[in-house]
Amino acid sequence: MTRIGMRLALTVAWVVAAWSSADLVHAQIASQPACQNVMAPRTTVFFVNGITTTLDDARLNIGKLELEFLNRLPGMSEAVQANCNVFSLNYNPTGGEVNDFFEAAQQQLGITPTRFWLELEGLNLFTRELIRDALEGPMTDLNRIDASTIERHAMAYREQIASPSCRRVLIVPHSQGNLYTNAAYDLVFNQPPSPPPGAIKIVGVATPAQTVPANGFYRTSTTDVLINAIRLIRPGTLPPNTNWGITPLLLSPSYSGGHSFIGYLSADPSRTQILSDIESSLTALAAVNPC
Amino acid sequence: MSVFVVVIWLAVGLTSCSNSSDVPPPPAQETVAGIDANGDGVRDDIEVYIDATYPVSAQGDTNRALRQFARAAQVTIIDAGEPAPSVAHAAERFRALECLMARRPADFHLIFVELRARVLNTAARSLSYLQADNHVRAGNVPLLPADQWGGACL
Repeated sequence: MTRIGMRLALTVAWVVAAWSSADLVHAQIASQPACQNVMAPRTTVFFVNGITTTLDDARLNIGKLELEFLNRLPGMSEAVQANCNVFSLNYNPTGGEVNDFFEAAQQQLGITPTRFWLELEGLNLFTRELIRDALEGPMTDLNRIDASTIERHAMAYREQIASPSCRRVLIVPHSQGNLYTNAAYDLVFNQPPSPPPGAIKIVGVATPAQTVPANGFYRTSTTDVLINAIRLIRPGTLPPNTNWGITPLLLSPSYSGGHSFIGYLSADPSRTQILSDIESSLTALAAVNPC
Repeated sequence: MSVFVVVIWLAVGLTSCSNSSDVPPPPAQETVAGIDANGDGVRDDIEVYIDATYPVSAQGDTNRALRQFARAAQVTIIDAGEPAPSVAHAAERFRALECLMARRPADFHLIFVELRARVLNTAARSLSYLQADNHVRAGNVPLLPADQWGGACL
């Protein structure tokens, strides 16, 4: 294929990718009816970011989750619609790890800073060497998980559940965020006073973990290059149970690693399955009195 | 599915060889701040990119949302060594991103990725951006609910 042909193919893929996500065009973003009622029960939906996620990416990730949720809310169960779902961010600082990834990419692949940011979650950066040198440890070694971050996350969940907030908690972690979420969940329930059972639910996305606490849900794609590499090192990693279908997203520089949270929420069946898991979790949470 | 994955892998590998980005390299002695000749808070090269890609005449709302982010990103990398301003600038970036999501709910991410890649076009700018992130903790920066994102636009 000629260089022009390849550029043309990539351009077409990008246009189709953008078009495929154009089903979310809103003249105005709808509000949640239950949130207009101060007496309606509240659930806080936390996003916990992963290893290649900057603060801005984390904001956009939870924004995408909120948009997709609002888009599906009218078709969800009455129990979910009766709740006001408040979206929040439990940021997992990854500046040092992205820094390592950035420097390794420059040194080993000689890529420019611009290309690094264009392809942060792309296939070209998820090479075996870069994963080994910059990402493998933080994704697999529990000793490298920051204890203060876990404590901060656990405290945030406790504050939401306790009076006067009295909110249920749904956690949607991505990538390494799953390891933080599992540890924070254990901390919340293993230290008194323990909140009511079932007051926290988890829907993990692209998880390098081997479990999801409390019979929570998870979705990992068969085309997730980073998690597939982690699974080679740690065979106990939860197996893939979704995919992105035949999508041009996997041809775009930004999504081709199959690991992007926004990619998971832009392609099907992963998007539909994640939202179904969220609906099931919120329905179960609605039956719990948090405080 | 495995065949599909291999095809995708090859396709991405091939396209990556074509230098898919048309981003010109920065001058060798570019400072972190760069040049903002008209003093509007947006680096000149970024201003040129935004105006060329999202002309005010056709996509004024997107143009303004991206300028809002570019201004916030510019002060972020300039003040990256200072914790308090970094938290304030993170909030400014969040408002700009909420504005962008309100204006372009279907394709905000690709638009953001392209702009950020141009803003952080040197190692020094990239490292400053990451340094600023390290000053921010969850809870420092509140999020607006989706039905209020439009109100975040300046």
